[in-house]
Amino acid sequence: MKTRMIGIVAACALLPFAAGCGSGGDKPKQTVTIWWAQWAPADGLQELGQEFEAETGIAVKVHQIPWSSYQDQVFLDFGSKKTSFDVVVGDSQWIGRGATNGFYLELTDWLPTAVDMSTVHPRAARYLCEYPSGSGRFFAAPCETDAIGFAYRKDWFEDAKEKEAFRLKYGRELVPPETWDDFLEVAEFFARPREKRYGCAILTGRAYDSLVMGYQQIMWSFGGSWGDQTTYAVNGHANSDAAVEALWFVKKLLKFSPKNGADLDYGQTLEAFINGSTAMSMNYFAFFPDIVSNIGDKAGFFIMPRQGDRRVVSLGGQGFSISAKTSPEQQELAKKFIAWFLQEKVQRKWITKPAGFTANTAILGSEEFRKANPYNAAFAESLDSLQDFWNVPAYNELLAAAQKYVGEALDNVKTPKDALDALAAEHEKIFRDAKLLKQ
Amino acid sequence: MLKYGFIAPALIILIALNIFPLFYNIILGFTNSELSTGGTECAGLRNYSIIFTEPKFAAALRTTALFVFAAVTAELALGFGLALALKDRFRGKMPLLTLLLIPMMLSQAVMGRYWYLILNGESGILNNLLGMAGLHQPQWLNDPGLKLVSVLIIDVWMWTPFMMLIALAGLNSIPQYIYEAAEIDRAGTWTVFRRITLPMCAPLLVLAVLLRTTDALKQFDLVLATTGPNDAATQTLSALLYQTVFKDSRVGLGCAYACIILVIVIALASVFTRYIDFIQSKQGKTNAAR
Repeated sequence: MKTRMIGIVAACALLPFAAGCGSGGDKPKQTVTIWWAQWAPADGLQELGQEFEAETGIAVKVHQIPWSSYQDQVFLDFGSKKTSFDVVVGDSQWIGRGATNGFYLELTDWLPTAVDMSTVHPRAARYLCEYPSGSGRFFAAPCETDAIGFAYRKDWFEDAKEKEAFRLKYGRELVPPETWDDFLEVAEFFARPREKRYGCAILTGRAYDSLVMGYQQIMWSFGGSWGDQTTYAVNGHANSDAAVEALWFVKKLLKFSPKNGADLDYGQTLEAFINGSTAMSMNYFAFFPDIVSNIGDKAGFFIMPRQGDRRVVSLGGQGFSISAKTSPEQQELAKKFIAWFLQEKVQRKWITKPAGFTANTAILGSEEFRKANPYNAAFAESLDSLQDFWNVPAYNELLAAAQKYVGEALDNVKTPKDALDALAAEHEKIFRDAKLLKQ
Repeated sequence: MLKYGFIAPALIILIALNIFPLFYNIILGFTNSELSTGGTECAGLRNYSIIFTEPKFAAALRTTALFVFAAVTAELALGFGLALALKDRFRGKMPLLTLLLIPMMLSQAVMGRYWYLILNGESGILNNLLGMAGLHQPQWLNDPGLKLVSVLIIDVWMWTPFMMLIALAGLNSIPQYIYEAAEIDRAGTWTVFRRITLPMCAPLLVLAVLLRTTDALKQFDLVLATTGPNDAATQTLSALLYQTVFKDSRVGLGCAYACIILVIVIALASVFTRYIDFIQSKQGKTNAAR
């Protein structure tokens, strides 16, 4: 009995090895693990990954993480000796932190061999791939190129009665606004709170970055800036007269927004438009497929208005960065996939996926792309005006301070001047602590 | 030896999960440790100097103090009031008690999200009801003067039943003969409440206040679910701690914040426990005198 028991125990112990022997001839499947936020483009990337697997035998697994905890999870994972992913599709603002802390593999020598950089839109290359911006040192390859634009109710704009009423009131045609002053008039015209109809929904959410992304493009268009890009001096820039005027302008727009218009994140501006209450809604182009699928051709799209001759659009989107904390073999597999993805033929497939936006200039300039979706023309036009928030390693503290003080101005806790003075002081302190401020 | 063997597992778990993290947290508070780089250099007292010189710590402390005071006071008053109303036996008491206890059994994070929908200024149920009644529709989560009030409303809704439950236990523990004696002595309702009900319930009420205070001091879930951790109007100490560690990645500074929060909690808890001892010893003396 005892011998039989020993036999059974030994057999159980050896079972895993026996199972291993059975498949001993097969190599373990090669897999590239990509981490990205949970949204439609990530589904599209997974679909392309399956095509890559069919061609090369290398599997691609796109692990999606909710936006609210995406950044936290990625940087917590970078705290480990080995990351759980090979590639992270990181926000443009992360690149400084990823590059200077040794999380992102430097791609300066490799990227130009994988893709002809002259085919990558220069603004996408500058803000999504390079650190420091304009240095020619690459830490990411373009994946999802995005920009902020406007959706508008084309049916309202084309309504004969509305057109006539607008002409009578403002002495010009009712068309998508070209300047911010035009925008204010159109927003005022459509604002009819008694009928639950509002002029505009702009990005003002406090949770992550939507307020800053919404405000900064108006601030830049009015002639303001976040600071000096070389000395990192902020005082006199972020709180300049132009910036203060821009913030007052944002406050004026809130009068024509939904009642909760002072705190609308990406999802809420989208909702304000889809529910049929708002004439114009600001958001990233990547969210616009939802509008088309919900209200179809009642919606039109236009590029961010200009002020004078200045038109600036907040950059969005993410680049592929290879983890420096994964094995060299995995890094090579990741490079194979990225090089495959950046081929023009694959990019042409990428743009057919929901919210799949490319940085390939040839595709962006093609009629085929412009006509493929109702928002593509405005998107392609926006790329020449892209600009981004600070992408230095301390970007998150800068972002939190900006969100807080600009928010206080919108909430009437501080005047725009006081809020921006406080913001400038805190930003300079953050740059001083980060040893970046040159004075 | 065997006796040590029995307590060893619990002791090891306690050391690994409580004692070690506490001391490690204290050590990290004197470093410039960052969330994902791993590099740690001694920063001396720099983190503490930042905390005591930056206005955001003082602001978060004020917000937390205001929140704790308002929430615990409201919950105590409402909870004790409800307990007095539900003290006597009546038909349907148990189903009513069960209904009242539901909020405290739910997850704060989930309830925070539900209330976020209820309080939404444009599409929230509350404002729609107010609108139908022709009343003013406040911007609960947008108006800086109402943001903290909104979080308070949710907290009071969730935790008043807890106060009620403990107060009810206190009321039920008072022997009936004391009330009968008071009745014979023709004591009035107010006198009975002031001289019998309140003093005899006091130790349990103070315990409930202690538990709620220490819990409210850590308020985070509702803030995160409604206004986010970076909103000046509702940034409690825990929200500031989260923002510092997980958003700004400054682990060293965050640990220093955590140490200060711990000291505040311990100081408050000591005051309350001493007060409980004081009440109990006073009651003991009174009983001995009788």
